[in-house]
Amino acid sequence: MKDNRYEQLIADLRSDYRPQREWGEGRGILMVIGHFLVGVAGGTWLMASIYGVIYGLMVAYVLAALGALVHLMFLGRPERAIKMMRHVRTSWISRGFVGLTLFLIGGGIYLAITLLGLTGIWRALAVAANVMAGIGTIAIIGYMGFCYTASKAIPFWHSPLHPAIYIAFAIRGGIAALLVIGAASGQLASDWLLQMWTGVTALVTLFFALEIQGALSSGNIAAKWSVRDLLAGRLAFSFYGGTLLLGLIVPVLLLTNSASNSPVVMAILGVASVSGDFFMKLSTVKAGVYVPLFSPARRSHAS
Amino acid sequence: MRLGMVIDLKRCMGCYGCQMSCKAENGTPPGVFFARVIKREEGTYPTMRRKLLPVLCNHCTDAPCVKACPTGASHYAENGIVDIDQDMCVGCHACMVACPYNNRYFNDERRNYFGDEGPTPYEMERSERHPVGVVMKCNFCRPRLAEGKDPACVANCPAKARIFGDLADPNSDVSVLIKDRGGYTLHPEAGTSPNVYYLPE
Repeated sequence: MKDNRYEQLIADLRSDYRPQREWGEGRGILMVIGHFLVGVAGGTWLMASIYGVIYGLMVAYVLAALGALVHLMFLGRPERAIKMMRHVRTSWISRGFVGLTLFLIGGGIYLAITLLGLTGIWRALAVAANVMAGIGTIAIIGYMGFCYTASKAIPFWHSPLHPAIYIAFAIRGGIAALLVIGAASGQLASDWLLQMWTGVTALVTLFFALEIQGALSSGNIAAKWSVRDLLAGRLAFSFYGGTLLLGLIVPVLLLTNSASNSPVVMAILGVASVSGDFFMKLSTVKAGVYVPLFSPARRSHAS
Repeated sequence: MRLGMVIDLKRCMGCYGCQMSCKAENGTPPGVFFARVIKREEGTYPTMRRKLLPVLCNHCTDAPCVKACPTGASHYAENGIVDIDQDMCVGCHACMVACPYNNRYFNDERRNYFGDEGPTPYEMERSERHPVGVVMKCNFCRPRLAEGKDPACVANCPAKARIFGDLADPNSDVSVLIKDRGGYTLHPEAGTSPNVYYLPE
């Protein structure tokens, strides 16, 4: 009986550069979608809290709930998901799961009290719940990059800039979501929000350029291969088309357009920006390759 | 005690005996081999040669899979063996991504070797060991070790290319071989301290 997955595995093991296929391919795409949704949720909650946009908080909560659902769909045994909080000492996934749980509980209570307009003792509970959601927000914005960076087996991911990129993407996603929400509710985005989008986008671009430069200049052969895949290999289409064109060039062109303050343009800008973020995450996750098994430099004596 | 294995690449002839004995012992689904022999041709005619690399879980002392596992399903069992508690595993694949050696498998559906004819009685009996939706891997044949036997791949290697023993004991066969023959591990730069060593050809 022939099984393509394992034929693929054998072919990967024989080749020099084994791409990771667990996250980003087949059912693994759910992991990327989950991370994307949760990241945008965290950024949106943060930005909506700063701006005091209740719709933003609601959208953030829905996105986080969807993200949690997608994560559960990815798991082989979703009914055991509660056990994922057991290893917070070493596992970033575990820390993220705790953060997401805090966010969903705290955010849910805060939104319920706020939307129902409860007063008195309920307000004190709302403040406590908001603090809980805030801690959860920090955790869900921060943990994702570390999930990848912790994997020494994949040199391209194992970069100190990777968590910073994910944090910046979450904030950029949050700003983009506020732009869309503002457009939907007929409100124009403030100049400060647009300036912030520009600043965070510049930061993301800088971080990514530095990561690429680091991989090319001081990374090992697998890291260099990942960059090659991304810029001129199997992922070039999704990188140039999705990340660069949709996520950077289109929003910048819209921003420099004279009609950039119209709600429709703001909405398109937000959607393009957040779509580009998804392709960025998908491309970098799929670009991960392992160091070759048949490596000439592999000698260490028993201790 | 720190159990480990030495694989003598000079003795290995690529017969797949380890691979098949492992499969017979563990009854793994189609395509899943806890012990595998990877073959590759290197060079160009007339100086090309076939290279063999038998691989299995490296039972690392500093196992990245154990650190990455959010539930604690991947854990250190007795004598440094890295094993998976299948009742704890949620199937998040984190351990598979973290493993630099690609020696973990995800059992996503019940499969058998004869397709529509259904599982054989042997497969039915063995498949109970491998629940669906969780990750599986080599555990140095812990049930055999408990009976005082060597792992199946070691016991069945016709060339005696696999030697199993205590790496913590400097006088054990494995430690002496590593010292005398310059044993090395795969990907030492990953800092995982593997307990599977290779003796050069």
